[in-house]
Amino acid sequence: MPPRRTTSGMPAPGAVPDSGSIIRIDHLTKIFPEKSGAVTAVDDVSFEVQKGEIFGLLGPNGAGKSTIIRILTTLLPPTSGTAFVGDFDVTSEPDRIRRIIGVCPQNITLDLELSAYDNLDFYGNLLGIDPGILDHRIMELLETIGLAGRANAPVATFSGGMRRKLEIVRAFMHKPLILFLDEPTIGLDPESRREVWQQVERLNTEETTIILTTHYMDEAEKYCDRIAFMDNGRLVALDTTENLRRSLPSGDLIEIGIPGRAEGLVAALRADGRITSVESTETAVHITASNGSRFLPDLLEIFETFGVSPTSIAIRSPSLEDVFLYLAARDHAARGTGREEGGGSL
Amino acid sequence: MIRGAIAIFRRDFKKFAGNPFVLVFTLFMPVIYLIIFGNAMGGTISHIPIGVAQEDGSFAETPLFVSATADLLHYQPETEKPRTFDVTVFSSESSAKAALNAGNVMAVVIFPSSVSNDQAVRLYVDSSEYLVPSLIESGVRAVLAARAAPNPVYVNRMYGDIEYIQFFGVGVIVLAIFMTTMLGGGIALIRDRENGIIEGYLVTPVQRASIILGIIASGTIKAFLAGCIIFLVDIYIAGIIVDSIGTFLLILLVIFITSIGITSVVVSFASRFSAQQEYASSLAFLNLVLFMTSGAFYTVLGMPFWLRWITVINPEYYAVHALRSLILKGEGHLIGMDLVALSIFSCIAIAAGIISFRRTLE
Repeated sequence: MPPRRTTSGMPAPGAVPDSGSIIRIDHLTKIFPEKSGAVTAVDDVSFEVQKGEIFGLLGPNGAGKSTIIRILTTLLPPTSGTAFVGDFDVTSEPDRIRRIIGVCPQNITLDLELSAYDNLDFYGNLLGIDPGILDHRIMELLETIGLAGRANAPVATFSGGMRRKLEIVRAFMHKPLILFLDEPTIGLDPESRREVWQQVERLNTEETTIILTTHYMDEAEKYCDRIAFMDNGRLVALDTTENLRRSLPSGDLIEIGIPGRAEGLVAALRADGRITSVESTETAVHITASNGSRFLPDLLEIFETFGVSPTSIAIRSPSLEDVFLYLAARDHAARGTGREEGGGSL
Repeated sequence: MIRGAIAIFRRDFKKFAGNPFVLVFTLFMPVIYLIIFGNAMGGTISHIPIGVAQEDGSFAETPLFVSATADLLHYQPETEKPRTFDVTVFSSESSAKAALNAGNVMAVVIFPSSVSNDQAVRLYVDSSEYLVPSLIESGVRAVLAARAAPNPVYVNRMYGDIEYIQFFGVGVIVLAIFMTTMLGGGIALIRDRENGIIEGYLVTPVQRASIILGIIASGTIKAFLAGCIIFLVDIYIAGIIVDSIGTFLLILLVIFITSIGITSVVVSFASRFSAQQEYASSLAFLNLVLFMTSGAFYTVLGMPFWLRWITVINPEYYAVHALRSLILKGEGHLIGMDLVALSIFSCIAIAAGIISFRRTLE
C-alpha cells in the first residue's frame, strides 16, 4: 500500500481561505428533463474534497459520478445547490475555475495523427502556458512518462497505456490545483494500469488534488485517500477505505471446503456468538466473522469436534465491492425503494 | 447464407426507417432536384437588357432605328413566352457603350445613319455569358431581316469567343470552396464533437469565440487553397487568360472572401447537427440550391422569377459574377457590388457561426 499523507488539520495556503477543503459541494442536484420524464442524475449530494488528497468517486454506471465531474469542471450547470471549486462558484465564475483545473476525460481525445509533442503543444496554447517555457515544459512532461524519445511520433503508433499517460500529463501541463480524471485506467492491461497509477501518484506529490472516478474497486482501494460511494445519484458513503471496511458489520469472509454436507456442524456454528453468518453448500461452508484470522484456530477446532476435515481454507477481508453492495442496499432500504434502472452490480 | 443476408437487410432497413430526418430527405431531395434543376436549367432566356443608340454624327433618328427598336422590344421568338429583350434607348453611342462597360446592359446595337448595304449595324455584345450573346445576335439579325434592311451586321464580341468550359469553370471554383468546407470543415467538426474533443477545449481557459474563430480560419484557408487550385486548373484546362497582376490579386481576394462566408455558413450548420448523416443530407441540399441559382451552370436570365429571387440573397451568385467579371472579362470595376454583398454576407455568416456554436455548447 502506498504511503498516505494525512491532510486533515493542514494549514491551507493560497486559494482556499478556511479549512483544508478545495472543493465544496452543498445539496447539489442535477435533473435532466427527458421526453420520458425527468431524470435525477445527482440527488442532493453534499461533500468536501480536502486539499492534496486523492479522492475517488465510485459507483456503477449511471450513479451520477460523471455528472458531478461535469458540473465541477463547468461543463454543466447544476439544477440546484452550490458547488465551489477553489474559491469559485461553478455557476458564476466558470472562467476562473478553468484556470485552476486540469481534466482528463474518459475517452481519449488526443489527435492520433499528430505527434505527442504537437498534442501537448496544442493544449499548452489552449491552457495559456507562457510560450517561453512551453517547449521545456512539454519535454519535461514527456520525460516523466518515458516518451521523450518518441516526441515526434504520431500518437496513433502508441499503445493504449502510453496514450492514457500522455493524456493525463496533457491535463497537468499548467500544474493545475485540481486534476480530474474520469476512469483513468479503463480498458488498459494490468501493467499499463499500474503505470498510470504511478503517474497519478507522482502528480499528487506535486501539491495537486486529484479527483477520479473509477469502476475498479481494487484500484480505488489501493490508491485513493478517501472514497465517495455513489448510487442512483445519491452519495451513499464517504470515508477512508479503512473506515468504509469497518462499516461492514459482517467482518472477514472465511470459506472452508468440506467433503459433504454437515448439518450438525452448521447448527453448532450458527450457535456460536462470534460468528455473524453461516451459509453452507455441498462442498463448502461460508462463514463471516469479525477478526476472522484470530478466530480461525477456534473454528477449526469446532470442525474437528464434528469430525469434518476441511479440504480447503480461504480467508479474505471484505472487498470494497462487498462494502459498496452492502451500503447501497442499506441506502435503498432506508429510502424504501428498490434498485431502479441505472443501478447494477459493479 | 440467406439468413445472414436477411439479418443485414433488416438491420439496415430498421435504421433507415427509424430515422425520419434521413427518410424525409431521401424522398424530398429528388423532388427538389427536379424543381430546381428543371427550372434553373434550360428555361427560356428572357428580359435580356440591351441598349440601342443612333450612330454618332447622325442627328435625326432614322426610321430604321425607330422601327428596329420597337421590333426588338417586342421580339418574341415563341409566343406565350415573355419577351426576349429589355431595350434601353441611349441618346448617344458613347453613353450606350459606357452602360455596356458598366455591365448595365449586355449588348448595344448601334444603328447607322441610313439604310444601305454599305453602312453596317454594329452590335457590341458582352460575350462572357453563356447562350445570351448568340440569342442577341440572332434577335438583331431577325429584326433587321423582317424590316428588309440591307445593312450588314458587324458583331463585336467584347471578350472574344468564350467556350462553355470557361464559363462553367469559373463556377466550379465556387463549388470547390463549398465542397471543401462541407467535407473537410463541417464533418470534422461534427466528428470532434462526437468524440468529446470540443468538450476538452471547454474545460480550458480558452474563449468560446476563439474556438469558433480558429475553426472558421482553418476552414477558410482550406477552402481558399481549394478555390485557388481550381482557378489554376481553369487557367490550364480551360485556357483562361488573366491579363494583369491587379486582376489576379482581385481574383484571390474574391476567392478569399467567398471562402470566409461559405465556411462560416457551413460551420454554423455543422455546429447544430449532432449526426453526420443528417448534416450531410442538409448540406447537400443547401449546396444544390446555392449552386444551381448561382448562374454557374446557366444564365440567371433563364430562370423563372421566383428562382431569380433566390439569386439576390445567394452569395454564390455574387461570387460567380465577380469571378466571371475578373476572369472572363478582366474588368475589375464591375465587382464593387459583388464585394459589398459578399462582405455583408461573410460578416452575417461569421456572427451566425459564433452564435450557433455558442448555443450548441450551452
